[in-house]
Amino acid sequence: MPPKQIQLTVQNISKSFAGKGGDVNVLDDLSFTINERDFVSIIGPSGCGKTTIFNIIAGLLEPDGGTITYRGKEIESLRGRVGYMMQKDLLFPWRTVMGNVLLGLETRGVDQKEAEEKAREYLKQFGLAGFENAYPKTLSGGMRQRVALIRTLIMDPDILLLDEPFSALDYQTRLYLEGVLKDAVQTYNKTVILVTHDIDEAVALSKRVVVLSGRPARVKVVHEIDIEATSPITARNDVKFSTYFKTLCAELDIQTETTS
Amino acid sequence: MSLVMSGTSARKKAVPRKSRKKRSTFDTTLGRAVLQLLGVAIFFALWEAGVHAGYISAFLMGSPSGIFATFYKLILSGELLSDSWYTLFEAILGFIIGTIFGSLFGLALWYSVFVAKLVEPFIVAINSVPKIALAPIVVLWFGTGLISKVALAVSLTALVALIAAYQAAKDADVDLQSLMISMGADKHQVFWKAVVPSTLPSIIATFRINIGFGLVGAVVGEFISSQRGLGHMIFLASSLYDLNSVWVGLFTLMILGFVLYYVIDIIERTSLPWKQATTSHQVQV
Repeated sequence: MPPKQIQLTVQNISKSFAGKGGDVNVLDDLSFTINERDFVSIIGPSGCGKTTIFNIIAGLLEPDGGTITYRGKEIESLRGRVGYMMQKDLLFPWRTVMGNVLLGLETRGVDQKEAEEKAREYLKQFGLAGFENAYPKTLSGGMRQRVALIRTLIMDPDILLLDEPFSALDYQTRLYLEGVLKDAVQTYNKTVILVTHDIDEAVALSKRVVVLSGRPARVKVVHEIDIEATSPITARNDVKFSTYFKTLCAELDIQTETTS
Repeated sequence: MSLVMSGTSARKKAVPRKSRKKRSTFDTTLGRAVLQLLGVAIFFALWEAGVHAGYISAFLMGSPSGIFATFYKLILSGELLSDSWYTLFEAILGFIIGTIFGSLFGLALWYSVFVAKLVEPFIVAINSVPKIALAPIVVLWFGTGLISKVALAVSLTALVALIAAYQAAKDADVDLQSLMISMGADKHQVFWKAVVPSTLPSIIATFRINIGFGLVGAVVGEFISSQRGLGHMIFLASSLYDLNSVWVGLFTLMILGFVLYYVIDIIERTSLPWKQATTSHQVQV
């Protein structure tokens, strides 16, 4: 295995929001690194500022302090170079499946014909051929999230920022889409940062799991997940799976055994 | 034979009769039309009977037979048609100009929160003036011809469109805009691809209100001073106590409004195909 190279470094990032009772410190001195082709899950108590981290990396929010370094260069944000996917699929209701997939390429000014050809390829690969002219309203939740994933991947982003992308879906669809995601990440050589509530999902998909403390968020501990599995379903059958699961639960202060 | 019999009895068992609502024979498009026309016919029949029996004054109220006779006469002379066209033209022109300018200005306010906040009290102030009160000045400024009626219709429709468009632009989904920004889109791209399309339903919804306001502007303008149009016809007839002509004018306006409403309906359906993407099922209560 080649030595791990650092792709993205987030250093000493802090951010506070004006609240009713004074400023709320959401991020305080938060630092972590992401390697090339990494798959990192970030878990932590709800409301600890996971989405804020993404918004800062994506360039939607400005941090109060700290630096972001990308491949050795200090940058302001990765705006235009990230693929951001959220819990809501955020498909544009007035655009067809094709129109939604083309959104990013359009803003980039890619030639229409070339873009459509590429889109058709992606749609075919993700089993959505024939739905080009369907409106999002007519699709199931799983299909909509697949369209959102294609819309993200077709931009060829440097890093995928996935903010609980599957949490609104039912368990079966979620398992299926986790598989689709893992395959896609392998095919397209992508780096992924996944924010999730779901410890199970984090262990099954990631190479590393970053555990954050409550507000203000700090990195509590980073776990290397050493499971060599081809799919998220087989990963759940790995002998080490439940050990990781229990450790992470304990770190999030979730009681796994009843104490009387 | 027996198989068929058992089949039907089984189905009867599966769906208890009580739960199945029996649809009335009139609950079809044709059936409803028949009932609606019947209602109109009864209304006119009672009116006519009232006039004949002496309960209703034909002088103050007119009579259906008189209205129909006047209607027939005015159609033959071509007056009704030319007056209708004139009023319709004013209304539609005022509607189009007012709606386009109002919507564009309202949408443009999305660009600058500072400007929007600056002009907001002025918009509220102008909007709180009953625009009909402007009619005399509008006639002074724009004369007694077509332009003054169009101007009045514009003043009525523009602010409705402006406020609706501005509100819709403000309410446009922030997450969709964030998504576009994360993709590297600039402000213009966010405006045209995320904000404008999401305001279209609201803007088109104002068409319904504004087409009516267009007619109001045209007719009131004609009341004040005009040589043509349905408003002129109604005003003239009522000053001569020719109630039948007044009713012909009113009913013609009603028909115009009715037709325009359905034209807007068609525009709405064809311009927002994504809203029609699924057939909505009404819940039976």
